[in-house]
Amino acid sequence: MSKWTGVLSMDLENRKGKTIAKRVFFQGAFKVMRPIYHDDSGKVCYYLLNPGGGYLDGDRYKMDISAEEGAKVTLTTQSATKVYKTPNNYAYQETVIYLKKGSYLEYLPDPLIAYQNARYKQKNVIHMEKGATFLYTDILTPGWSPNGDYFSFDSVQLITEINWDGKLGVFDHIKLTPAQQNLSGLGYMEGYSHLGSMIIISEQTSTSIIDEIYQSIETEEIDIKFGLSKLEVPGFSLRILGNSTQHIERVFTKCLHIINQKWFHRTPSSLRKY
Amino acid sequence: MDNRILSLFQLCDSNLPTGAFSHSFGLESYIQDGKVKDPESFYEWLRVYLHEQLIYTDGLVCRLIYDALRKKDIQKIWKLDHLITVQNLPRETRQGTKMIGYRMLKLAESLYGMPTLSQYRERIDKKQSYGHPAIVFSMVAHGLEVSKQNTILYYLYSAVSSQVQNAVRAIPLGQTAGQTITHKFQPELTRAAESIMQLHEDDFGIVSPGLELSQMKHERVNIRIFMS
Repeated sequence: MSKWTGVLSMDLENRKGKTIAKRVFFQGAFKVMRPIYHDDSGKVCYYLLNPGGGYLDGDRYKMDISAEEGAKVTLTTQSATKVYKTPNNYAYQETVIYLKKGSYLEYLPDPLIAYQNARYKQKNVIHMEKGATFLYTDILTPGWSPNGDYFSFDSVQLITEINWDGKLGVFDHIKLTPAQQNLSGLGYMEGYSHLGSMIIISEQTSTSIIDEIYQSIETEEIDIKFGLSKLEVPGFSLRILGNSTQHIERVFTKCLHIINQKWFHRTPSSLRKY
Repeated sequence: MDNRILSLFQLCDSNLPTGAFSHSFGLESYIQDGKVKDPESFYEWLRVYLHEQLIYTDGLVCRLIYDALRKKDIQKIWKLDHLITVQNLPRETRQGTKMIGYRMLKLAESLYGMPTLSQYRERIDKKQSYGHPAIVFSMVAHGLEVSKQNTILYYLYSAVSSQVQNAVRAIPLGQTAGQTITHKFQPELTRAAESIMQLHEDDFGIVSPGLELSQMKHERVNIRIFMS
C-alpha cells in the first residue's frame, strides 16, 4: 500500500520579504500551478490541482509542505475535491505540514463532494513551532448521486492532528457513515446538509478575538448553526452546520478577514477561481 | 469478588462528589432549544450521546487503559490521557472533564490507595497529565480485578445515570420517569459495551457534529444550571 497515485512536496522560504519555493516536486496525478502573489505582502498562493478530475477507487494522494521561518503561504485547490465510487478500496489523502516559528500557512481547500458509494479518508498532520500561525478550513457537502439524494456516499472520514511545540495539541476526528447513522437526526447534522470546520492556531489568540468573531457570525442573517471554542493550545475551532457551501464560505471569509485585520493589519485577497 | 464489585459500585454512584452532576455535556443546549423536552426526546439524546460520542472516547479509552495496565505499559496511559483531552474541542466539556477526573482521582486515591492512582495524581499536579474520569475508573476497576467487559459496562452505566439525574432536574422529569429511562436503557448499554470491544484503535475520538456543536454552544448560554 505504499504506492501513491499522486505526490506533491514543497519547501517554502522567505527570501527578502517574498515567499518562494526553494524546492517543488510533484509526481503522478497531483500538480501545483505556478505561484501567484495577490498583493505586495510577499505571501505566495499556490493552487493545487488534480489533473484526473477526481479521486477514484483506491487512489492515494500525499502532500508534504514545509514553511521556513518568515514564509507566508496560502494553499488552496482549483476546484472541489470529488470522490467517485470506490468499490474495492477507499480513496485516501494525507497531508503533512511543517511550520517553523514566524511562518504563516493557510490551507483553504474547496469543498469535498463524495459521490454515491464513495469511501474517503483524509488525514492532516501539522507540526508547528511556537510562533507559527496555521489557518485551516474544510467543507463537507452532502455529496452527489444521480437521483439527487443527499448523503449517498458510504463513508467520509476526516482526521486532523496538530502538534504544537512537539506535543499533540488538537485531535479532530469526524466520520460520517450515512447507512449506519440517522444523519438528519438530533446530534448528527440536525437537519442541515453541509458541515464546515475551521481551526486557527496562533499565539496571538485571545478571548477577545474569539468573542468578536462570535458576535460577527451572529449578525449574519443566514440559516446556520455554529459553535466556537478555545482549544487546549493557543487557538480555536469553529464548526458550522448550514445548507449551502456559500453560507459556510461566507462565514469563513468573515473570520479570515477579522483575523488578518487584527493580527497582521492586512485584508485577505479573494481566491477567485471561476 | 463480591466485595470488589461493591467497592467499584461506589464509584458508579451518581452521588459521588466529583462534580459530574454539574455537567450536562451539551444536553442543556438542547433543553434550551426545546429539542429535548420529554422522556422520549431525552432518551433519543442519550442514545446518540452514548453510541456516537461516549463509545469512541471514554468507552474505548476504558478498554485501552485496561489493556495497558495489564501489559504494564504505563507510557500508553499517559499518552491516552493526553489524546482524550486534546480531542475534546469544546473548552467547557474539556475543562469539566479534567475537573471531574481530578476529583474522582483524589477520592479514589484516598479510598483505594493504589500506587497507579497516586502516580497519576502526581503527574497532574506537575502538569504532566490532565486527568480523566474514564482513566481513573479503569485504574480502580483493574486494581479490583473486575473484568474488562464489566469495567466498560459499569463506566458507561455511571456516565449515563449522571445524565439521567441531570435530565430529571433540568427538563424536568419525574423521578419515576428517570428510573424508567435507566431501566429501559439497559440493552443500549450492553450493545455499546459490545461495540467498544469490536472497535479498532483508529476509531478513537470520532465525534458527531451536532453533539459537539451543542457542547460548544453551551459556552454562550446565559442562564444555566450546568457548567457545561
